[in-house]
Amino acid sequence: MGNRRTYGPNREDPVRGYADAAMEFPRLLALLLLVLDWTQPGLSSPLRPICDLRVLNHFIQEARDAEGAMKSCREGCGLSQSVTVPQTTVDFDVWEKKNALEQAQEVQTGLWLLQQSLNTLQTSVTNTAMHSHIDNTIRNLLSINAVLRSLNIQEFTPPANATDLEGTWRVSLATELLQVHVNFLRGKVHLLLSSAQACKPDVS
Amino acid sequence: MICEILSRLLALCAIACVARAGSTLQDARDFEEKVSILLKEESETPKCFAEGRKDFTCFWEEDEERAGSVDQYSFTYTYQNENSSRCPLRAVPTAGGKMLFVCHLNRIPMFVQMDIQVHREGILIHNRSLLIELVFLLDPPANVTVSSTGQQGQLNVTWVPPPLKYMDDSMMYEVFYSLADSHIGKVEVARARSEYILRGLQSSRKYKVQVRVKLDGVSYNGYWSAWSDPVFMETLPAEFDPLIISLTLIISFIFIVLCLAMLLSHHRFLIKKIWPAIPTPDSKFQGLFTIYGGNFQEWLGQTNGSLWLTPAFIYSEECPSPLEVLSELSLCPSMPSPPLPPKASRALSAVRNEGRELRNGLEERALLVRDNLDGKTDGERAAPHHHLLLDRLRALHQHQVPCSQSSLLESQDTYVTLSANNNSDDERVDRNLEEALPLEAPFPSGNTALCESHSDLGSAPQSSGSGCISSQSSFEYPNHAWMAKGPGYTYMAVADSGVSMDYSPMSRVDENGKVPVYTNEYKNAIPAHRKPFLVRQYPVHDDG
Repeated sequence: MGNRRTYGPNREDPVRGYADAAMEFPRLLALLLLVLDWTQPGLSSPLRPICDLRVLNHFIQEARDAEGAMKSCREGCGLSQSVTVPQTTVDFDVWEKKNALEQAQEVQTGLWLLQQSLNTLQTSVTNTAMHSHIDNTIRNLLSINAVLRSLNIQEFTPPANATDLEGTWRVSLATELLQVHVNFLRGKVHLLLSSAQACKPDVS
Repeated sequence: MICEILSRLLALCAIACVARAGSTLQDARDFEEKVSILLKEESETPKCFAEGRKDFTCFWEEDEERAGSVDQYSFTYTYQNENSSRCPLRAVPTAGGKMLFVCHLNRIPMFVQMDIQVHREGILIHNRSLLIELVFLLDPPANVTVSSTGQQGQLNVTWVPPPLKYMDDSMMYEVFYSLADSHIGKVEVARARSEYILRGLQSSRKYKVQVRVKLDGVSYNGYWSAWSDPVFMETLPAEFDPLIISLTLIISFIFIVLCLAMLLSHHRFLIKKIWPAIPTPDSKFQGLFTIYGGNFQEWLGQTNGSLWLTPAFIYSEECPSPLEVLSELSLCPSMPSPPLPPKASRALSAVRNEGRELRNGLEERALLVRDNLDGKTDGERAAPHHHLLLDRLRALHQHQVPCSQSSLLESQDTYVTLSANNNSDDERVDRNLEEALPLEAPFPSGNTALCESHSDLGSAPQSSGSGCISSQSSFEYPNHAWMAKGPGYTYMAVADSGVSMDYSPMSRVDENGKVPVYTNEYKNAIPAHRKPFLVRQYPVHDDG
């Protein structure tokens, strides 16, 4: 009805009626919404869960390469200060007693601590070859966080005094740091990803 | 009643003990097997392995002679950032005079470095740092099952993975399969799954399958487990693929068609080779077998022997003439003669042979005779006799069968000369003969009129006092052509028709001047081109 054009008596030129003028605004609005939807940054749909553990295995391999490179590094590969790293010990009995949330928080805290430690290592190391390894390691940590987010694991930011929390160690050697990094990925992170609820088939 | 209860309890205890003993025995066997594996695989000491999440074993081996008691040794382990702990040891004797010192732990934290130290009487003898999750030595997969997939040459292998939580995705398996009666086989790798389909197997064969497990080495690592107990399974029998059968039939059909086409196109050649035709004389004797039933004489009479006899060679029986066959000329080179009946062929061959033998001798003598005759007055006196002979010859020649042709002269015909002998002239003739006789002495003479006609040059076959019509003239001729030499020579060609004349002396001649003629017709084939032959005359006794 609103689109009906009213023709004049001479049927020469269509005459715009009241209904036509009223439809102008909805059209503009629809057009605006469409444009905004295309240009809207960010994800409009949830991430697909990354359940393939080969991604984590790739990160673990690169962490091992970094650890090996650090063991063979003679100069300019030391930590300027001791850093706090998460404990990597996994007691299956203890681990199974924790719920998913606790496990997730423990993993995310550990990843945060490692990230801080690697940043410190990056400023301490002067060897250019190690710089590339450390940069790669830091990027992999960020990717693991993204994987955790894809599994609908609630993002957890540890408190500022996380360095004093239990379940942490103090290390002063770069080799120890990278060894802890590898063990943490192989242990807790791997356990968390392998038991993620989002990757388990739906049980009806 | 109490006794019954007690007895039952005792029975149950006994069963439990036996079962436990059995399991213990099995465990012991498994332990020994793992120890042997580690002794081969691991080079560091002490050798440690984790069997699961809660079983960790370390051991080292020493000679029984040098080993001390268990109390002398201490096994100390320290986790990262933790205090050290001691592990109780136990000694296990093994075969071969060795002693094992074993440490077993139930609580094993993973993903953390573990430092181990072994002391003997306060002296460090072994030292090692390891991560427990990297020294897994699992049990072989259980319940290995091999079944048929329903397809040819395939077997489906399934097994139960070791019951380790969180580690299913990190396990890798090796499937070994071989023929049941062979030790050589193939190994297939399977990752993070508990079944595998073997392909490319032979049909209707028994196969042996074994499986072993190991952690993949990313998050967890370890040693290859022992092979599971072998499982035997037979593959399905071969089936006839309809596609292959149809293709085989089509190809064989095409091949058969090609063979038949080739055979049909070359059937004549093949028949000639396999079943050659036996030649028959039907083509040469038209009507002999079909009309006359093989009766050659009848066929010859009806057909006049057209193939073998030419009219030129046939003289009718009604052409008698007083003839004396002197010799036979072979003007033409010897030609192959067609097959003759046995009698005639033998006679001809005999005549032929004799003619050749005497030919050379006759040539020279004939020349001499001629010269002798020509140069003598007797020869002059004999001239009128020659003229008389010529006249007679001409007269006789007119009565000759017109079939006589000049071509006869070129063939191997019998040439005869005629000489008129009167009784009054006998003496003269005899004298002539006697003069010529020395030259012709080799020739047989006798009462019998055995006249032989020789081939080639004619000399006068003589028989003194006998009735041979001697020829006063002889002749010579070139090898190929026979030409009339002149009036001094009288020639007449006689066909080799088998005519045998009665060469009796003139006294034999009737008053009418007729000479009895005996004819012998050869009913068999007479060659058109015959070789010189020697005609043997029948002896005629002349009583005249």
